[in-house]
Amino acid sequence: MPATSGPLTPGLASFLKTLRTNPIDTSIDNLISLLKRRQIRHSRSCATATAYLLRGVISASRTNDANKLIERVQNVGRRLMAAQPREMVVGNIVRRVLGLIRDEAEDDREGDFNLSEAGSESQPQTPRGLDDPTDVLSARHDGSDRGASRQPLPALTAAPISMFSLLSHPDTENSLPGTPVSASPSGRLLGHAPGKDIRAEVLDGISEIIDELTQVDDQIAAYALDHIHSNEIILTHTSSTTVQKFLLKAAAKRKFTVIHAEAFPNNHEATHATVSGANPHDDELLSTESFQKPLIALGITVILIPDSAVFALMSRVNKVILGTHSVLANGGLVASAGTRVIARAAKVHQTPVVVVSGVYKLSPVYPFDFDSLIEYGDASKVISYEDGDLVDQIDVQNPLYDYVPAELIDLYITNLGGHAPSYLYRIVSDHYRKEDISV
Amino acid sequence: MTSSTPTAPSPSPAAAAAATPTTSTTSTPSTASTSSKPTKQQPSSQSQKPSKSATKSKDAATAATSAPAAPADSATAQLTPAELKKRAKAEKAARRARERAERESSGPAGGAPSGGAATPGKKDGSGGGGSAAGASGSKQVPRRGSAQNASQNGGGGSVSGAVPAGGLEKSAGGGGGGESKGGKKADDKNVAVFGHLYGQQRRTTVAGAGKEVHPAVLALGLQMRDYVVCGSSARCVATLLAFKRVIEAYTTPMGTSLPRHLTTYLSHQITYLSTCRPLSISQGNAIRALKLAISSIDPSTPEAEAKAFLGEFIDSFIREKITVADQVIASSAAQKIQDGDVIVTFAGSSIVKQTLLLAHKQGKKFRVSIIDSRPLFEGKSLARTLANAGLDVQYSLVHGISHAIKAASKVFLGAHAMTSNGRLYSRVGTALVAMSAKERAGGVEVPVIVCCETVKFTDRVALDSIVVNEIADADELITAEPMQQLTGLPDPAAVTVSAADAKKGGGGGGKSAAAAAAAAANAAAESNTLAQNVSSPLTGWKESANLQLLNIMYDVTPAEYVDMVVTEMGSLPPSAVPIVHRMSTNL
Repeated sequence: MPATSGPLTPGLASFLKTLRTNPIDTSIDNLISLLKRRQIRHSRSCATATAYLLRGVISASRTNDANKLIERVQNVGRRLMAAQPREMVVGNIVRRVLGLIRDEAEDDREGDFNLSEAGSESQPQTPRGLDDPTDVLSARHDGSDRGASRQPLPALTAAPISMFSLLSHPDTENSLPGTPVSASPSGRLLGHAPGKDIRAEVLDGISEIIDELTQVDDQIAAYALDHIHSNEIILTHTSSTTVQKFLLKAAAKRKFTVIHAEAFPNNHEATHATVSGANPHDDELLSTESFQKPLIALGITVILIPDSAVFALMSRVNKVILGTHSVLANGGLVASAGTRVIARAAKVHQTPVVVVSGVYKLSPVYPFDFDSLIEYGDASKVISYEDGDLVDQIDVQNPLYDYVPAELIDLYITNLGGHAPSYLYRIVSDHYRKEDISV
Repeated sequence: MTSSTPTAPSPSPAAAAAATPTTSTTSTPSTASTSSKPTKQQPSSQSQKPSKSATKSKDAATAATSAPAAPADSATAQLTPAELKKRAKAEKAARRARERAERESSGPAGGAPSGGAATPGKKDGSGGGGSAAGASGSKQVPRRGSAQNASQNGGGGSVSGAVPAGGLEKSAGGGGGGESKGGKKADDKNVAVFGHLYGQQRRTTVAGAGKEVHPAVLALGLQMRDYVVCGSSARCVATLLAFKRVIEAYTTPMGTSLPRHLTTYLSHQITYLSTCRPLSISQGNAIRALKLAISSIDPSTPEAEAKAFLGEFIDSFIREKITVADQVIASSAAQKIQDGDVIVTFAGSSIVKQTLLLAHKQGKKFRVSIIDSRPLFEGKSLARTLANAGLDVQYSLVHGISHAIKAASKVFLGAHAMTSNGRLYSRVGTALVAMSAKERAGGVEVPVIVCCETVKFTDRVALDSIVVNEIADADELITAEPMQQLTGLPDPAAVTVSAADAKKGGGGGGKSAAAAAAAAANAAAESNTLAQNVSSPLTGWKESANLQLLNIMYDVTPAEYVDMVVTEMGSLPPSAVPIVHRMSTNL
């Protein structure tokens, strides 16, 4: 089994490890091939890889000219997005980095250090310290203040290479809350220059995006108690970590029942592992999250059902909580195959459908052609090797994703709070700049 | 056992005195039987054989109390072949073990289980759970279930014929209750909402089946349990054919008439079948029709004539209600298929298969999209058949419903049953397909056509899929991974394990013995690795608390998702189901 080869298996972990040592162009090609070969699959892994790569790209480019930086990021971003056009989060992260650069460039032009008002419009990164569900607006305001306060901490253009390699050290992400704090003092130590360094600001911003990616599930989970009441029956689907964390958070306080559809054949192993608490065999998932307790350890009754039984049980379900692959600007979403039928069944039974998703999955793309969003997977998961004779004769289909229209969704819970599907366009405009929508 | 049976005959010399000694003979083995092996029982029966005629006459006198002993002997008298005897013995052992378990679980109130004198009291204690002591005796009679015994009781006619049947059901239920009591720990593996559906575990072997159950029925029961015979019509036909053989082999016992006794006799077969897998609606309807036909026979009719009549009845029932009905349905449903159609179907319905094959034979050009589901994958064989016939087949699983339905122009569904409120009761997942067909984005509805014989209509109603359903073994859901290893070579890990085993096992023996042991261990280890390959994260799900697996067989599709039901009586809206059902049952 490839599991024995350990960290050398191509994937997110090996990519991050080599990112430090390899020249940046090699890393770009490496990530492109990983995306193309689907060796990085999960949206968060893709987002993390993209963010780290872009940080490397920016720190490696020896210019402080915003336009050149934008051009460079656009080039890399286009190549990444072309490598896996259906992986929207890659484009999302690229757009957010572009937005960061543009913001910094504008700030630079204005030469204004106190732009808390303007910053609230364009500040893309999610404010930290959102664990208590405070008001979104005040939280964002707080974040922009913080951004402004950090602005007089520039870094030297010549010196900072060592600092950036320090920053891009993957280990720093493990000490999540400490990262920006430790970054700021080091910046203070290094730089006393009054001149503004766009690059350092952008790198700070990317670090915040990376932090957001590591914290997003916990931030979403903080809203769990607002949405799950006692003795509820909740139906979910696939082994989404976001959903699991959400439910685990609620399980600490409340007792409820979870009905888990197994998402055969593309995700059933991971789902079974999630449900039973066994370690997944998927290397990509082998992160700290995958070692969390299963729901059953917290006394939550989990009923595992085949996907076909969803309609039969829906009449007993109080709430459907779904994870997603990416969310589109119109409020629709692309999620693992089978989600649409579940959402339909819930609608038929008047059961609310809640989608939990990080803001980073929110894409400014409007789905004009739904079919282009759908990826098809390995047919051998549907018809096994033993039935190989059938494959010659029949057309076996294994769609990986479903497009779920917005009208089937009742509520989105992101790390910014709960939103109606119709409100998503507003969050999109908060996070992405118009000029970046088509990279 | 051999040690205990000699003690039994020792009271029996005094045996002109009737009841208590015989009960002690029967009950002492039952206490011993937990420790005894089947091999031990062989001599006991031989020792009983000489006293057979004597005990038989005794039984006639003391039928109520010594009932458990009597049928066994009468059975050996009636069914002389050796294997039948052996089977009866195995049954006896199993039954006694079960009775004992039941008694133990039903309460320590039964008294101390040691002395032979205490056993009658124990028996009464268990019987007291039912109603009266006499009732407890009669309760055990049908359980043993011998035809002769029933005939001895059955002078009273049809009423008494019904009573043992009821008693039998009761006792079967009692057994189930005992088992569930024993498996209290397994209770939290039962999904609470479906608690009412977890009855008895499905029968795993023929052991413990009443000896009056016909071999054809025994075999059929196991085939149905293993889904070898699967599908509502197939099960119905197979049941009827098995019953035909039962009736052919049946001889009316003395002192009763065929119409009176055959129904009771058949009900043993039916109970056995229902312990293998709950009966389908079509089976129930067919059995009801058969029983009606039996009771309509004039008691004075000669037996041969009556049996010929019933054989003819079964043949014509199968022909009219299923074979010809299927042809009619297939031809009328095939008319609905046009060139260029994309037909979506779910799982593997035999009637849909016939329809599609017929339409293909008629030269229509259409595509079929099969949606299949875990754990039975019934659509696979349908796909194979259709592909072999040259149809254009597309295959996906439940997760691909919304993709398959996008291109669909018609949906054809099979049925397990149609309820009186027009809902379709069919393989779980059918409702999802029908729903997707009706709710396609863009508002274009795909017609949903159900093909269903009227024999599957029922007067029951269903609102949801929870009240009425069938729970299959949850272990079926644990995925059998495709084998990792495709060569015949043993897994390296397994070899080391087996070597260790061989060392352990073959330490005392010589080299060749060790080699043989190694080979054996190797084989064992190989099967182990296969089992390990098959293992999934869920393998130990029964041990992990709070985790439940649910494997329901059916779901109920709302009537508004069904546009048309094609039956042999014509194409109807679902609301016409109760009317047609009334018509067809009155005919």
